[in-house]
Amino acid sequence: MLQLVADGLIQGAMVSLGAIGLTLTYSILRFANFTQGEFVTGGAYAALMALAGFAGMAQGPGKIGALSFGWPMLIALIIAMAATGTLALAIEWLLFARLRRHGSAITLVIASFGASLALRNLIAFAFGPQPQYFSRDLQIAIQPIPGLRVTPDQLFVLGLTSVAVVSLHIFLSRTTLGRAMRATSENPALAMLVGIDVRAVIRWTWLIGGALAAVAGIFLGLTVQLRPTMGFDLLLPLFAAAILGGIGSPYGAVLGGLLIGLAESLSVPFVGSEYRQAVGFLVMLAALLWRPQGLLGERG
Amino acid sequence: MTAKPVLVVASLVAGYEPDLPIVRNASLEVAAGEIVALLGPNGAGKSTLVKAVAGLVPIAGGIVRFEGRDITGRAAHRLIHEGLALVPQTENIFTKLTVGENLELAGHRVGRRLRERLAAVYALFPDLARQHRLAAGRLSGGQRQMLACARALVVEPRLLILDEPSAGLAPLMASQLFSKLAEVRAAGVTILMVEQNVRAALALADRAYLLVEGRERMSGPAATLAADPALAGLYLGTAA
Repeated sequence: MLQLVADGLIQGAMVSLGAIGLTLTYSILRFANFTQGEFVTGGAYAALMALAGFAGMAQGPGKIGALSFGWPMLIALIIAMAATGTLALAIEWLLFARLRRHGSAITLVIASFGASLALRNLIAFAFGPQPQYFSRDLQIAIQPIPGLRVTPDQLFVLGLTSVAVVSLHIFLSRTTLGRAMRATSENPALAMLVGIDVRAVIRWTWLIGGALAAVAGIFLGLTVQLRPTMGFDLLLPLFAAAILGGIGSPYGAVLGGLLIGLAESLSVPFVGSEYRQAVGFLVMLAALLWRPQGLLGERG
Repeated sequence: MTAKPVLVVASLVAGYEPDLPIVRNASLEVAAGEIVALLGPNGAGKSTLVKAVAGLVPIAGGIVRFEGRDITGRAAHRLIHEGLALVPQTENIFTKLTVGENLELAGHRVGRRLRERLAAVYALFPDLARQHRLAAGRLSGGQRQMLACARALVVEPRLLILDEPSAGLAPLMASQLFSKLAEVRAAGVTILMVEQNVRAALALADRAYLLVEGRERMSGPAATLAADPALAGLYLGTAA
């Protein structure tokens, strides 16, 4: 039981991080961005490339404590966040900004689906369809509490996710840019009237959403493996989490992600692991019947 | 009108769709220190005119000058930093932000003077100071309008444009708001206000324009317009 909760929280942490970007772009730009899954994948592979670069440079990388990776991984994480944020910005500039001038929300959704397909195949072409790993070493699980087995990497994932979520909260509630994002998501015209450059807010939204997706991708790579379809496979849970939490609410995305992760994990003993994704959706459906705007969503 | 004009609108044509102008060749001037009321029946284009001036509605023709500078078609987020603030009629506060966050966000560009500016608007609207930690969506209608005005005043604009500030307010709240606006003007802020409440608007304003079908039909000192029987019969209702 305890084990299932821990597994669910770890899976949920990754879903949460990816769903934040989804919900942010929705709240500012009012469309469901299917490319978010590829930001997850892109972030993981960007880190893999950065690590390969470091490996050629220095002596064999040491490891931090019991983790499966060393300092280069943390630098690769930052590089991958920047690279994925930039990728999101590039797609915004090449595609979404142009379509927004004329198209409707459905045009943007379909375009994002197309961009997702193109990026996924590009990654598969560049890196091959076979799974890859950040480290091939086997990690010994530790038992912090009797009956609970977690790897140090999994604890790292949980810890860094908490840091990311707390940072996001401080950013949204305390900083001018964070408040400007909340203001723009509520009322773009009024945001302009109080002197907010809405176009700058949109760029920051992509950057932050992309960067958090990259973190999710790296965590998925650390705890499972890297595949060109890893982000796309995560996309439906991402949507489930964002909608369950109340689309447009970053805190809702975090809560939704954790609940989806827990529901999937806790259902495994009853329905088997093949159907775990379906359970996540059942939870989402049940919650929406009870509360149509999502757990932390606003009416209308 | 002896003072130099703060705002000059000349032959303005504007509307949401390029081939469907709502403001059709409208002109008006607001001099420094004045309160000017913009009156007219529903659909006359009053709101569209002030939104076009503030950069929210595309301008198809004509010129808007603010303090002598051509600001025609300038983006809304830049105009506020030039000293021109618009308070829209509805949805004029961020309901999910607290009262304090609304004001601090509006004042983010004033830098180290923010505390001084916040103190100034809280002094003008003491109700808001008491409720600065409350989500703005939980304020009453009158308090919302006060917050919307306070939000615009944080950046010390030289021209405050209000779109129907008294709409939906109880008479007592409306008269409180109007007395605040008189204080604001006394502090040196020029005011252009769209109003449906004609009698109250003409009592507060120095001059007024009557806008009909996107053009100015009549203009003059507020007292003259208030006494004009043709105006009263045609557009202002018997109340005027």
